[in-house]
Amino acid sequence: MPNVNLTCFLMSYLVAFGLDIARLRSKLAWSRWVALLFGGAGLLAQTLYLLLRSSQTQQPPLLSSAHDWLLVLAWLAVLTHLFVSLLDATIASGLIVWPIVLLLVGASHFVTSSPSHVLDFHRGWKMLHAAMLVLGSAAILLGLVLSLLYLWQHRRLKDRQMRNSGLTLPSLERLERFNRWSILVSVPLLTFGVATGVLLSFLGNHDAAPTWTDPVVLGGSVMWLLMCGLFAWLLTGQRTPGRQVAWLTAWSCGFLLFMMVGLQVLTEVTRMPSLHGNDSTRMVRPKSS
Amino acid sequence: MTRPPAFILVPAKRFRAVNLLALYCTHQTTPLAIRERLAFASREQLAKAYAELRRRCPDSEAAILSTCNRVELYLAQPGDDVEQTRQQLAQFLSEFHAVPLDEFVGELRSDSGSEAVRHLFEVVSSLDSMVLGEPQIVNQVKEAYRAAEEHGACGPLVHSLFQGAIHVSGRVRTETKLSEGRVSIASVAVGDFAKSIFDNFADKLVLIIGAGEMAEETLRYLKDEGVREIVVVNRSPERAARLAQEWSGRAEPWTDLDHWLGKADVIVSTTGAERPIIDATRFRKARAAAVGRTAFILDLGAPRDFEPAVGDLDDVFLYDIDSLRRTCDEHRHARSREIDMAHQIIAEEQTKFMAEFHRRASGSVVSRLMQDWHAVSKTELDRLFSKQPHLTASDRDAIERSVERIVNKLLHPPLETLKHESREGEPHGLIDALKRLFRLEG
Repeated sequence: MPNVNLTCFLMSYLVAFGLDIARLRSKLAWSRWVALLFGGAGLLAQTLYLLLRSSQTQQPPLLSSAHDWLLVLAWLAVLTHLFVSLLDATIASGLIVWPIVLLLVGASHFVTSSPSHVLDFHRGWKMLHAAMLVLGSAAILLGLVLSLLYLWQHRRLKDRQMRNSGLTLPSLERLERFNRWSILVSVPLLTFGVATGVLLSFLGNHDAAPTWTDPVVLGGSVMWLLMCGLFAWLLTGQRTPGRQVAWLTAWSCGFLLFMMVGLQVLTEVTRMPSLHGNDSTRMVRPKSS
Repeated sequence: MTRPPAFILVPAKRFRAVNLLALYCTHQTTPLAIRERLAFASREQLAKAYAELRRRCPDSEAAILSTCNRVELYLAQPGDDVEQTRQQLAQFLSEFHAVPLDEFVGELRSDSGSEAVRHLFEVVSSLDSMVLGEPQIVNQVKEAYRAAEEHGACGPLVHSLFQGAIHVSGRVRTETKLSEGRVSIASVAVGDFAKSIFDNFADKLVLIIGAGEMAEETLRYLKDEGVREIVVVNRSPERAARLAQEWSGRAEPWTDLDHWLGKADVIVSTTGAERPIIDATRFRKARAAAVGRTAFILDLGAPRDFEPAVGDLDDVFLYDIDSLRRTCDEHRHARSREIDMAHQIIAEEQTKFMAEFHRRASGSVVSRLMQDWHAVSKTELDRLFSKQPHLTASDRDAIERSVERIVNKLLHPPLETLKHESREGEPHGLIDALKRLFRLEG
């Protein structure tokens, strides 16, 4: 069995990030390919890691643990970034994506990696619940990246710094459009994820601790409500300057991701009872036991 | 250090030495007033020029490159008297354009032989252009080559020269960053800034305030990006109407300026007013109904038409001449760092071009020599076989092969030496010796 651990792909992503920073200074063509190579190598290592974890725990990565769930989110972000970078040689998305990926991978180290037995029940629904939430979170992550890119591009244009920077960013119009779409897509996904979560709590084991006091559930619900508000504002609100929209989405998405990751870490560190953490095994006993 | 020979050996049916000359006047050496009198402005004029050159120099190959920045004549003709060719061409220019020779002869520059090759390679790579890295010159050189072909003025040398030049321009374009970064105000405004703001121009309204030349140039770039709706506002309705008609837009009265300021996505201003005509308060008021819509303002007026404070408004991107010029200058500076690399490529290609020519030139001598010797041996063998009819077919075959081997072995050392010399440079001495020793021109 190959010896793949978090450090392997964390270091690869770190090198790719460093090379992307170096491209700000020099426009050497090889540095882009080397950055892509390291990013690709990291992605491969991470894929192997998730597959190995999945085979060890006999669970799909999304259902296994918060550790795997965060890694799947990071994996989606890296995959999207590498795809975009291959299509456009000059785009500078790495400077925004890599720190977030590093944060997610780093955070995964601090959350539980023990498989949750509570997930043995209603496996299909739980898979749907986790998948919708991870895809919704990925859309939020994308929204965060796009709004940060928008603000960066806005600043460059205001400061007239378009020349010789060795990188390009998409136009403001495109970033605004994609940003809007990422929020509009994230809300239905999160809604469906939350709805399946509520359904699962009713179908769940009566021996389980009350789900609504679970900090992760509470945080997720707040996140969902906030995104719904943003969604409604984007759809019905008056036309607002693009920069304000970008600031609002950047703060909202940033806060939500921070809260989501932070709550996972918090439940682990403080050993708070949570269905979505390591301690869930203490809260819920499988019926067979 | 010895000067490179001014002539080039050209492989042909009859082996010969050819002198190649490039005679030119460019924006770097000659005032426009003279260049425009020496230019070949129309197709008809060019056709007449080629006919006249053919009449004056019937055995020559020629190409004429005439653009707004340069008039260049390339002539390759037999012999090695470059000075005579130079005088011939200058005389041709003078008589063809009816301009006294003494009015421009001091402005003419010339290069011959391998230096003429280098000159064309530099021209086609835009190293000699007014705007370093500009792409139009390649098409102009291609067009000159096409015209030379069309008028039957191309021979092996001009063909190779221009094909080589086009190849060089490709290498310089792909292997250096000489063409990167826009260097004209209008192209920077649209290519670097407008395209970083807007994704799609088809649904954008462009407002032109004034009718300056630079506004027209900017409109050309915007049209290329797909702009459809153009509104021209000018104090002079006639000028507005003329510009609007030219660019399929519509002219609107000057009194409606604020209304259109509120509707436009792209604003290009070149009024020539003595002080700013639009301040932040007026602009904010005009855009009251367009909150959240981005405005790209290109203030090409000098003095400026928009107060700088307009650019501080949210979603308003204001660029004036100075800010755009700074970007242009930085692009130019970045390009100039690539010049050395371009020169290196040109030197490589020049060496390759000359080596290939020498190889082909000596190759024609080699094949001619071998043909002659084998012809002599065949004649002698035929004579021998007619005197010795008793020889069997296998005997004849054996004798023929022996004689062929003898000829090849005798020719091998001198031909190897010739090939070696060709790789080193122009083997004029050896070729001349071979020609004279074996009477190859016969």
